[in-house]
Amino acid sequence: MTTDTAEGLEVDLRRSSGGRPMVEIASRQVEGLSAPDNPILIEVRGLRVFYGSFEAVTGVNLAIRQNEITALIGPSGCGKSTVLRCFNRMNDLIESARVEGTVEYHGVDLYGPSVDPVEVRRRIGMVFQKPNPFPKPIYDNIAFGPKVAGFKGNMDDLVEESLRRAALWDEVKGKLTESAYALSGGQQQRLCIARAIATSPDVVLMDEPCSALDPIATLKIEELMLDLKKDYTIIIVTHNMQQAARMSDRTAFFSVDVSEQGRTGYLVEFGRTPDIFTRPQKAETEGYITGRFG
Amino acid sequence: MTDIRSHFHQELSDLEQTLLNVADQAEQMVGMAVDAVCIPDMELAARVVALDNQIDRIYLDVHNRWLTLMARQQPMASDLRMMSVLLHLNTTLERMGDQCVNIAKMAQVTYGLPRSDRIIAQIREMGDLVRQMIRTGVEALVRRDIDEARLLPAMDEPVDRLNRNMYREVVECGPDASLLEWATRMMMVSRALERIGDQVVDIAEQTAFLLTGEMMEFNENGISGTGQ
Repeated sequence: MTTDTAEGLEVDLRRSSGGRPMVEIASRQVEGLSAPDNPILIEVRGLRVFYGSFEAVTGVNLAIRQNEITALIGPSGCGKSTVLRCFNRMNDLIESARVEGTVEYHGVDLYGPSVDPVEVRRRIGMVFQKPNPFPKPIYDNIAFGPKVAGFKGNMDDLVEESLRRAALWDEVKGKLTESAYALSGGQQQRLCIARAIATSPDVVLMDEPCSALDPIATLKIEELMLDLKKDYTIIIVTHNMQQAARMSDRTAFFSVDVSEQGRTGYLVEFGRTPDIFTRPQKAETEGYITGRFG
Repeated sequence: MTDIRSHFHQELSDLEQTLLNVADQAEQMVGMAVDAVCIPDMELAARVVALDNQIDRIYLDVHNRWLTLMARQQPMASDLRMMSVLLHLNTTLERMGDQCVNIAKMAQVTYGLPRSDRIIAQIREMGDLVRQMIRTGVEALVRRDIDEARLLPAMDEPVDRLNRNMYREVVECGPDASLLEWATRMMMVSRALERIGDQVVDIAEQTAFLLTGEMMEFNENGISGTGQ
């Protein structure tokens, strides 16, 4: 499934044989995009997520741009983590979950019939709320993903490069054979980021990556994210509005409708972060971020 | 709507109320300073100076409360814009107090000099116009009324005109050195009132920013947006 997209990009999401990108993403000169905006990498249209017959998220339209940090914010239960999981088909792992609408990545619908979810997850990696390293040495934590994917290059170099990019190398280079569990919470989370980028994704999803960390470890992760956005596109779910304001280029604000059937999340407003936090257009956004919500 | 941050919003509202009180005081000080010049009344001049000292103390207190709120509450959206407006308002009102002191000092240094009734009448007129501007500017802010805020540039226009005209009045005072000295000092008074008028237009611009999120330059030719 090779597609020539509107952005002039070519991508193949069928199962790859070697672990490294099977088809290089060839970026050609893109015309017609407004100058200050990066190209759109992921385009969500009419996204609806169901758990059985219950609609958990409705009618989401979003354009995620390359090398930007996009923050998803909103009250608990508004569906922001559910939307995040749609970006790498993690909802497939929930039996009753069903997705409608399209999530186009480089112009290819991630929910298309011939798309392999494993390949999707290699290209679109994920970091979770609680650091979840494998009960293995630090080195093996990084090497595991590439090995499974059939990586044939120099593994030592890949491990070092991944740890360097995650700003962890200097702290662990002398103890790569020690258990990842010996690291602090902040170090474990950076290890998980290193693990996520070891398989050469171009998008990293982060679901509340700092909620289990102290302020210093949080700032380290935030600094790291700003470094990483040069090479990756980052989508982050956060409850910390100051974090969204500090880190992200664009912010999507979700809210929730409560009915007898349950809570259905929806997108209220999506825009450049400075606009969302200084002059939101919707009263609901204003109410939430100024604390006049509810 | 339930206000989840009610303590913060109460403090924000208290800060605004403090500054609105200062604005009322500044308006009265303009009247007192003009009276001090026109009657002339040295006691009034001294009261203006004392009231300005009070404004200076409030200025420092408001600044400290503002910093604490900013550091502890990290306001967003309309609250953030309100914080920006309050910081600006605090500085503007402090300067208006200083201009009133400048006028009061002119009353003191010209005491006993011969005077021109025409110039006195113009100073009074400017004082009345500026006081009306302050009342309108404060009302626009209190009512969150952008249309009322937009009235200010037009209200400032006659103040500017009277100020521009003042030098002619001074020239017409003729060769009497004492009268000329008094009249020259009155140019400073006129200039101070004109500056206060401009400062009220600034407050109106801040009100517009609070309501729209856009910084607009108000001038006699209309309103020009300058983006955020």
